[in-house]
Amino acid sequence: MVELQNVSVTYSSGVDALNNVSLKINDGDFAFVVGSSGAGKSTMIKLLLKEIDATSGVVTVNGYNLNKLKKRKIPEFRRTLGFVFQDFRLIPSMTVYENIAFVLRVIDAPVKYIRKRVPYVISLVGLHAKTNSYPDELSGGEKQRVAIARALVNDPQLIIADEPTGNIDPELSYEIVELLKGINDQGTTILMVTHEHDLVRHFGGRIINITDGEIVFDEVISGVTDEPLPEEELAQTMAEAAGGQAQAPSPVTSTEDALIDEVIAALTGADQGGAE
Amino acid sequence: MKLSGFKYLADQGVENIWKNKMMAFATFCVLLISLLLVGSSVLFYLNMNSMILGLGNQNEIAIYLDPETAQEDVDAFGEKLKSLENINTVDYISKEQAYESMQDQISRGKAIFDYIDGYDFMPDGFNATVINNDTIEDTVAQISQMEHVESVSSMPQVAEFLRELRRVVTIIAVAIIIALAAVSMIMISNTTKASVFARREEIQIMKYVGATNAFIRMPFFVEGMVTGFFAGAGAFFITWAVYRSVYRILTEQGMLMRAFGIGSIIPFDNIRLYVAFAYLLAGALIGALGSVVSTRRHLDV
Repeated sequence: MVELQNVSVTYSSGVDALNNVSLKINDGDFAFVVGSSGAGKSTMIKLLLKEIDATSGVVTVNGYNLNKLKKRKIPEFRRTLGFVFQDFRLIPSMTVYENIAFVLRVIDAPVKYIRKRVPYVISLVGLHAKTNSYPDELSGGEKQRVAIARALVNDPQLIIADEPTGNIDPELSYEIVELLKGINDQGTTILMVTHEHDLVRHFGGRIINITDGEIVFDEVISGVTDEPLPEEELAQTMAEAAGGQAQAPSPVTSTEDALIDEVIAALTGADQGGAE
Repeated sequence: MKLSGFKYLADQGVENIWKNKMMAFATFCVLLISLLLVGSSVLFYLNMNSMILGLGNQNEIAIYLDPETAQEDVDAFGEKLKSLENINTVDYISKEQAYESMQDQISRGKAIFDYIDGYDFMPDGFNATVINNDTIEDTVAQISQMEHVESVSSMPQVAEFLRELRRVVTIIAVAIIIALAAVSMIMISNTTKASVFARREEIQIMKYVGATNAFIRMPFFVEGMVTGFFAGAGAFFITWAVYRSVYRILTEQGMLMRAFGIGSIIPFDNIRLYVAFAYLLAGALIGALGSVVSTRRHLDV
C-alpha cells in the first residue's frame, strides 16, 4: 500500500516539486501516473524509493513510514519493492540469469531457491531462450522484460514502473503493460508512470494525473480498445479541459464516455505543457 | 550472512577483475609503481642507516691500564669490560704486543729502543668497540671510572659526525617516504575512483534492489585486495632482482667501498621475508581500502 498525506517537496533550489499531495493506492491496485515533464512524477517516484525525503507530510509505503525510516533500514524497505526503469538499468556484465538472481542474492536467499525461482520468473516473461544472454545481446523489449522479471523475482508487494515503455517500440509497449497487468492479477500492486496516452486509454484503470506538483485527476476509467475519438470531439474536450483545469481534481461526469473524455482532456492539456 | 553468500561475493570480486580488466590493470600498475617507490626508499634508508652504524662500529675505544697492574687484575679488568652494557668486542693488547707495535710505528728511530730495557714500562691495554655509537661518550666515561685505568681514548667527533649524519639521513628519508606515500595514495585513490566511477550505475542498481552497503562493498574489497596482492608480489620480485644485482655490484668493489661502509649493506636474504610480507600486506590493504573508500560517494542513493 502507498499513502501520501499532504506531502510537499521543495528542492534546495526553491522549486516546489510537489504541493500538498494526498494519495492512496491500495494493495492489488494498478494505477497509471501521468503528467507532463516537470510535473512532479519523478519526484514522487524518488519519494517512494526513499531517494529523497518529503519537506512536509507523511509518506507510507508497504507499511514503512518513510519519514521515520532510518538509513540502515532502507535496504530492508527496498526489498519489499520492485522497480522497472525506462532505461532498463540492467548490469551489463551479468547475464539475464545473473541480473535476476542478483536480487535474491542480495537478500541472502538459499542457492536452491535461487536455482528454482529464477528460471521460473524468466519463463514467466518469455525469455527462457535468452537465459544466458548479456543485456547487449537483447532488444529493448527483451531488456524490459528482464527488468520486469528482476522486479518480480523477489515477490514484492509493490512494483513501481517508471516509464517502462519509454525506450521500446510502440507495438511492444502493449505487451509490456499486458505483462504488468498479468502480474497485477496475481495480487501485486503496480504503479506505472507513463506519458503514452494511447496506452492509458487502451488499458484504462486508475489514472492519476499530476500537473505542476498537484494531483489534478484521480479516477478509475474503463479501457477502450482502438477507437480514436473524432477530431471535433477531441478539440472540444481539450477546450473544456483548458477551461476547467484550475479546479483540481477535475469533476467527473456520471457516464463512462464522459470520464474517458475527461482523462484525454487532462492528458492533452498536459501535452500542451510540454509532455515528453 | 551465509557462507554461500560470502563465497558468492568473493567470487564476484575475483570475476570483476577479469570483467573490468583494463581498470584492474591500471590499478595494478599504479599500485606496483607506488609500492616500488615507497619500498625502495625504505630499503635505501635502512641500508644507509646500516652503513652508518657499520662505520660507527669501527670507531674503537683504546683503554690503557696502569703499568703496575698485576696480570690477574688485567684479566679481571678484561672480563669486567666485556660485561659492560654497550661493549661489543674487546681485544686484549699485552705489554709485549704494545711494545712491538710501537717498534713498528717508530721504524726509522729504532736506535732508541737500544736504550730501553724490556717492555714492562708499557701499559697493558684493550681495544673495545661499542654496540651503540651514539652513547660512546657515556661508555668512555664509565670505563674511565674503573679501577686500574690510566687513560681512555676515543674519537668522539667521529661518533658525533655519524650521529649527525644519521639524523640528517633519517629526516630526508622520512620526508621522501612520506611524500612518495602521499603521491602514491593520490595516484591509487584516483585510479580506484575512476574504476568505481565506471561502475557507478551498477552500484545504483544494487542499491535500488535493496543491497546493503556492505554487500556492495564486499566485491570491491576483494577485487582491490587481490589486485593489490598481485601488485605487492610484482613489486617484491622486481625489488628482489634489482636489490641482488646492486648488492653484488657493490660488494664486488672490494676494500675501497668497504671503507664507506658498503660491508654493512643488508644482504637481501636476511630481509627477504620481511620485504615480501610488507609488500603483500601493504598492496592488499591499500588496494582493498582504496576501492572501498572510493565506493562511498556512490552509495548514497
